[in-house]
Amino acid sequence: MTSRWKFRLIGGLVIAVLAAAIYFPILRRRVKHAARLQQQSEEQARRELTQPIVINPGDPRVKTKVFWASDTIDSTLVPVTVELPLSNDPVLRSKQVLNTLLAGPVDAELRTLPPDALLLAFYLLPDGTAIADFSEALATSIPSGIVSEQLAVDSIRRTLEANVPQVQRLKILIHGQEVETLAGHLDLTGTFVVSTNPAQPPTKPSATPSGADKPASPAADKPPALAPGTLTPDKAPGKLAQPERKP
Amino acid sequence: MASPFSAQTQQAGLNIVVLDPAHGGTDPGARGTGGIRESEIVLDFVIQVRRALELQGFQVVQTRQGNENPSFDDRSATANAQRGAVFVTLHISSTGLPGTVRVYVNSDLPTVADSNGLIPWERAQAPFLGLSRKFGDLVQGYLTPRFKGSPDAAQSASVRQLRTTAAPAIAVEISSVTVEDRADLDRMAPGVADAIARGAAAFKPSYVVARTPGVLP
Repeated sequence: MTSRWKFRLIGGLVIAVLAAAIYFPILRRRVKHAARLQQQSEEQARRELTQPIVINPGDPRVKTKVFWASDTIDSTLVPVTVELPLSNDPVLRSKQVLNTLLAGPVDAELRTLPPDALLLAFYLLPDGTAIADFSEALATSIPSGIVSEQLAVDSIRRTLEANVPQVQRLKILIHGQEVETLAGHLDLTGTFVVSTNPAQPPTKPSATPSGADKPASPAADKPPALAPGTLTPDKAPGKLAQPERKP
Repeated sequence: MASPFSAQTQQAGLNIVVLDPAHGGTDPGARGTGGIRESEIVLDFVIQVRRALELQGFQVVQTRQGNENPSFDDRSATANAQRGAVFVTLHISSTGLPGTVRVYVNSDLPTVADSNGLIPWERAQAPFLGLSRKFGDLVQGYLTPRFKGSPDAAQSASVRQLRTTAAPAIAVEISSVTVEDRADLDRMAPGVADAIARGAAAFKPSYVVARTPGVLP
């Protein structure tokens, strides 16, 4: 009986070793292949990203307002004026000012966006809605918290507002996807109001931006003004619709 | 004889505070260099806030009791199931001047109802923004004298957790996990708890809502 169990045990071990010998090289090849594919796609993406924004030397150098964190007042933004050759094309111009914002100040304390974050793509729809697609680092490297996330989005929003008058609203994507929050707090499911002024052709970016102190507001094309001091719901609300549940 | 339907015209006041310790479970929230985790600290803060609120006569409901992480919608659902309630979500930030506290209310949302008269879940906060602002300003008003450097009034921000909450709702964010010693944060807890409880008590007379079946709050 004992020898019979020994035989079975040895047989089982031999089968396991043979299976491992066959399967492990396959698994290794698959892992290597997956890693190579990921590396290739990252390299490809990086190459595409690092292609310099075309700067036309003929473009006039204009004073551009970029919003960084204040070094004197906690958790507020201040405009910093830099001279840049800016395109008249609103999409190219938006990329130029956002890349300048991402490049950021030397002093890390004044940064509003992570240094490794990249602008992957930028689109401008005819109705003035801009779609800015950032790399994952914007979400993963930003300090978590309402104040830091709000500062990041506000710096993007206000930099666009000050320099690209065609942009009315802003939608932020992370790596091509809509995400629920930036880093656990700030809502990215809607659009942020950039400017309530009707779209207009580019003007001197040094012009005073309208509504520069407005807080970011998602999903609000033209939010209704709320009566100050209202102490009852603005409108008698009806029943609450239930959230859509994803399977 | 009182009509059996007279309850429809009764007025209900604020008597419930829903406390939301943010994050939890696999989501630790902000993390400090000294191993401080936002999800753990807010749970400790909530114990003190709860005690302060109960001393003021409020019933307290929590969105989580331990180290679990309900979804945003689940937390909102806990609040939206109450009548005559306010909602407070507690956070610790990664940045900001240590020792300060900020109160946030949701940025403006258009008030819309669908064709059936239902409020879209996605914008449940919209009808309550004015109330939330009033509540937030009151709480901030009690926090600022205790925590120098804090703002004078509640701030607006697009806080995801607030958007789907059908009640006066605020986020309270304490700065920050960057403190060298966790005791620095622990020392803030009684002041934060007292300010929230006083703010809720001061807000209570302002918050009178019709208790009509099928109508929120």
